[in-house]
Amino acid sequence: MDAADFVNLMVSALLLAGIYAAMSVGMTIIYGVMKIVNLAHAGFLMLGAYYVLELHEQLNIDPLVGSVLAFPAFLLAGMLVHWTLVKRIPVSDQPTLASLLLMFGLWLVLQNIGYLIWGSSDRSILTSRTLSSMHLGPITIPTVRVMVFIPAVCSLGLLEFVLRKTWYGRAVRALMQNRYAGRLAGIPVEKMARLTFGVGIGFAGAAGGLLAQLYSFSPDFGHGFLLRSFVIIVLGGLESFWGAAAGALVLALVETFSILVLPAGYQPAIAFSLLVLALVLLPGGIAGIFAKKHRWA
Amino acid sequence: MQMGRFLNYRLAGWGTLLMVLGILPWLGISSNLTRLLFTALVWIIASVAWNLLGGVTGQVSFGFAVFYGLGAYAAAMGINGGLHPLAAFTFSGLVAALASVFIGLPTFRLRGPYFAIATIGVSEAVRVVMTNLSFTGGASGYRIAEHGRFRPLEHYYTALGFSAVAVVISAWIHESRFGLSLQAVREDEEAAADIGVNPLKAKLMVHLLAATLTGIAGGVYARYAAYIHPQGVFGFHTSVAILLMPIIGGAGTVAGPVIGGFVYGLVQEELVAAFPQFHLLLYGALLIVIILFEPQGVTGWLGKLRGFIERIWRKSATASVG
Repeated sequence: MDAADFVNLMVSALLLAGIYAAMSVGMTIIYGVMKIVNLAHAGFLMLGAYYVLELHEQLNIDPLVGSVLAFPAFLLAGMLVHWTLVKRIPVSDQPTLASLLLMFGLWLVLQNIGYLIWGSSDRSILTSRTLSSMHLGPITIPTVRVMVFIPAVCSLGLLEFVLRKTWYGRAVRALMQNRYAGRLAGIPVEKMARLTFGVGIGFAGAAGGLLAQLYSFSPDFGHGFLLRSFVIIVLGGLESFWGAAAGALVLALVETFSILVLPAGYQPAIAFSLLVLALVLLPGGIAGIFAKKHRWA
Repeated sequence: MQMGRFLNYRLAGWGTLLMVLGILPWLGISSNLTRLLFTALVWIIASVAWNLLGGVTGQVSFGFAVFYGLGAYAAAMGINGGLHPLAAFTFSGLVAALASVFIGLPTFRLRGPYFAIATIGVSEAVRVVMTNLSFTGGASGYRIAEHGRFRPLEHYYTALGFSAVAVVISAWIHESRFGLSLQAVREDEEAAADIGVNPLKAKLMVHLLAATLTGIAGGVYARYAAYIHPQGVFGFHTSVAILLMPIIGGAGTVAGPVIGGFVYGLVQEELVAAFPQFHLLLYGALLIVIILFEPQGVTGWLGKLRGFIERIWRKSATASVG
C-alpha cells in the first residue's frame, strides 16, 4: 500500500464516519434522556429512506433537500410514538427489557408496513451526483459521499449548538446527568422526553434519507445500520455526543481498513464482532452495567 | 390438598394433549395438516427452550438462531456421515451446548438489554461466518442425502417426543429449587447472590439446557427439510420467531410457550402463503399490546377469562341458592 492508497482509504473512512455519527446520534439522545434502547431506530432509518425516495420521484425534490425535510416530519412522528406508546412504559434509571421489546415490536410493525407499501425489491436514489467523482491529484472522492458528509456534519454541529446554548439543550443535558435533580430544578420531564424522542426520531429519518443516497435499500434496510449504531454509541460510552463521534470514527476506520486483511464476505461480521467486544471489554464506556460484586464461578 | 388437586388437573390436561396429538395422524388428517403440526411441534421445542432463559431467568436473547442453525448443520452433517438420526440429534444438542458456553461466558457479564443487544451481534456474526464457510457449502446451503423412503410420521413422532421432553423439563424447572434460583436471578441478581445463588453459574446452566433443546429442534427440522441454508436457519427472523412465540404465549409459564408455538406454527404457515409479510406485522403489534397491557401474554388473557367465567358461575350459583 503506497501513500496515495492510504490517503484514499483515510478520506473514505472520514466521510463514512460523518454519516455514521449522524446516524447514531438519534439513538444516543434518546438513550441519554430516557434510558431506552431504541430498536425501532432501524425502522425509522428505513422510512426516512423511502420518504426521500418518494419526494424525489413524485415531486422531484432533491434528496439532500428531502433529507432536511425529513427532520420535521419524523420529529412529529416521534412525538406521536412517544405520546401513544413510549410514555406508557414505567420510567426507569436503567434500560428495561419492556422498553427494548416495545421498540422491537414497533420495528417489526414499521418494517412490515414498509413491505406492504413498497414490496421487497431493492430501490435506490439516482441523481446526477451518484456516479460522478472529484479528483484531487491522486485522490479520488465520490461526489455523493461529500454531499452527504456536509449536511451530516452540519446537523451534528447544529445539535451541539442547541445542546450548549439553548434552554432546551441545557434541560436535556441536565436530564441526562440526573433525572431527579432535573425535575427538582423545574424541568417538565414528560414534555422534554416527548420532544427528545421526537428529535431522536427526526435525526433517524434525516440520516435514513442521507444513507439512501449512498446505498440501495429495501424495507429491511436499517438492520445492519442499527447494529452499527449500537457499536458506535457503545464505543462512545452511550451518553456522550463526542463519544459517539469518536465511536463513529473508530468503526469507520476499522471497517475501511479491514478490506486490506479480511475477505469482503466477512466484512459485515466486523461491526457485529466489534459490538460484542466493545460491550464485554469496555466497561469504562458503559458504566453501571457491571455488577458491583460480580463473581466468576 | 388444594395444590395437589390442581397439579393433577394440569397433569391430566397435558396427558390429554399428548394423547390427542399422538393419535391425530391416524384419524385421517391431511398430509398438509401433519406437516403444519410437525412445524408447530419443532417451534414448540425452541419456544419452550427460549422461555427457560428468557422467561424464567429473564435474560432476553435475540440469538437463538445460532443454536437452531448449529443444531441443524450438526444433524445434517452427522446424518450424511452415516450417524443414526437419534445420534445425529444428540450431536446437534452437544454442538449447541458447547456454543452456548462460548457465547454465555462473555455475554452474561452484561445485564438485561445489553445482553440482548450483544446476542444480536453474536448471531449476526455467526450467520456471516456460516455464509462464507466453504465446507458447509457457504451461502448455497447444505443438502442431506438420506436413503430410504420419506416417512412423514416418523418425523412427526420425533418432534412430538422431543417437545414432550422439553415440556417435562420446563415443568420440572418451574417446580424445582433450580427454577427458584433462576427466578431469583431474574428478579434481582445481587439479592440472588446474597442468598447463595451463583447468578453466572445459574445463567450458564440454563443457557446450556436451552441451547441443547434448541439445537435438537434445529436438527429435527433439518432432517425433515433435507436442505438448509444460512439465511434460513441462522437468519435473524429465526431468532425473532423463537423470541416471539413464548412472549406471545406467556413468558415464564409452562403452558405459554406451547400455546405460542402452536399459534405461531399454525397461523404463520397459513398466513405466509397468503400475505408474505402480514404475519410479522401482526406479531409486532401483538408484542406491543402484550408489553403495554398484559405481560403474561395469551396465558394471562386465558387466566382473566377463567376468572371472569368463574365469577359469573359463582354469581349464578349464589343467585340460585338465594
